[in-house]
Amino acid sequence: MKKIALAGAVVGLGLLVACQPAAQKAEAQKPKKKLSKYEKFKIAFYQNQDKWQKYCSNEAQLVPQGISIEEFKKAMLATIKFPPGGKVMGDWKRGEKLFGDPKKGGRSRRGNCYACHCGDPQIIACGNIGPSLRGYGKRGIDPKQTYMRIYNSWAFNPCSAMPRLGYWGVLKPEEIADIVAFLHSPESPINR
Amino acid sequence: MGKRALLALGLFAGGAVVGTLAVAKEKLPEHLRELLELGMHPGHVFVDEGRDYYHNLKGPNGKTCATCHGQDGAKLEGAYAKMPRYYKDIDKVADIDLRILSCMTKYMGFDPKDKKFRKEYDKKLRVPLATYVASLSNGMKINVEIKHPKEKEMYELGKKIWFTRAGAREFSCAMCHTVLAGKRIRLQGLPNPVKAKSYNHWPAYRFGSDRMWTMEDRVTSCFKAYFLFTKRWDEKKDWVKKPPLYSKEVIAVELYMKHASNGGIIEVPGLLR
Repeated sequence: MKKIALAGAVVGLGLLVACQPAAQKAEAQKPKKKLSKYEKFKIAFYQNQDKWQKYCSNEAQLVPQGISIEEFKKAMLATIKFPPGGKVMGDWKRGEKLFGDPKKGGRSRRGNCYACHCGDPQIIACGNIGPSLRGYGKRGIDPKQTYMRIYNSWAFNPCSAMPRLGYWGVLKPEEIADIVAFLHSPESPINR
Repeated sequence: MGKRALLALGLFAGGAVVGTLAVAKEKLPEHLRELLELGMHPGHVFVDEGRDYYHNLKGPNGKTCATCHGQDGAKLEGAYAKMPRYYKDIDKVADIDLRILSCMTKYMGFDPKDKKFRKEYDKKLRVPLATYVASLSNGMKINVEIKHPKEKEMYELGKKIWFTRAGAREFSCAMCHTVLAGKRIRLQGLPNPVKAKSYNHWPAYRFGSDRMWTMEDRVTSCFKAYFLFTKRWDEKKDWVKKPPLYSKEVIAVELYMKHASNGGIIEVPGLLR
């Protein structure tokens, strides 16, 4: 009996000793070597570029090469996630701030939609790269379709100039729902 | 016509919007225009500063730039028109910023690993010296040749980067400056620098940021501002990565753009928004 206990103790001790350096090693590996500026840039520019962007990195820019458009759209559609509960319309007032805060002349660090689209007629400083969104809610477009276009525009227009805001996580699904509400709600300045 | 109509509307709206519209007109602010009419260009301060460094800044071994290149840059006339190009002594394709740095470390005796010197060069000496040396080529045609294999390699890299779409905003250089050229981001018209040969007025004084920029600053800050948004809403990380100065990618893009501007007549320093 004593012997077994002793053996057990020895084995336990051995295990402890054996495990400790391993644990320490794991801890020592955690704080990685600080990356230089150039290495960080290389990660951001080369490694973080996803394969869909590679298909679009050609001289035509707006047409994917090396993959069929149907396949491209299908893969992009599969990435779209909906907010919990599947509610694609949120609060339009919050959406207005994300779209472009009227108090700041339509600027926003998040959505920044006025850079390319016109919307609220009060905000004149709007770009003409994308189509104008004035009166968008009256066009009879399904809000779900709008949501999907904002989440991943490349599911409809591969390689378009519009960023895939939801895909990259620039906007949360709930935030996109707020913007959809801003576009569709009859009270919002876009439709008034 | 469209812009004028917009301007009229802007005056009605008043307030903050007018500020943005003034920029949209792509004209100089009043005080700068007056200065120009008087023959005073804010960029000329940098040319004078650069001339001062050129003649008076002594390296650890007692040489100044003028020791080799002659009084008032006599031997540097036309050098900027051919940059960036391959240099045998450093075995690299160098643009003006890197060329001056390697001259200082190789021939003037500065230590390339001395952090204090590097900081001083990057922040203080680089821009005036580059502006001064560039201004020596005023009135000449840009003539970048791609002959050496390293130049060819860099040109291909630059062309590839020009069309590479990256970052969370899916941007590439070509997206704005080739495909969407002529349209507007907000009210800022997008130029086509390749077609317009607008390399000829760089380094330029930008009154938006109120300082002189070389093309190196321009390219790195383009990367920072438009390309590489990597932050996600659930991560609190620095989401902007810009390449450090003198990196291969920056010089490659410069080479691509300047080669496209061949034939443009150099007018340095430029004056831009």
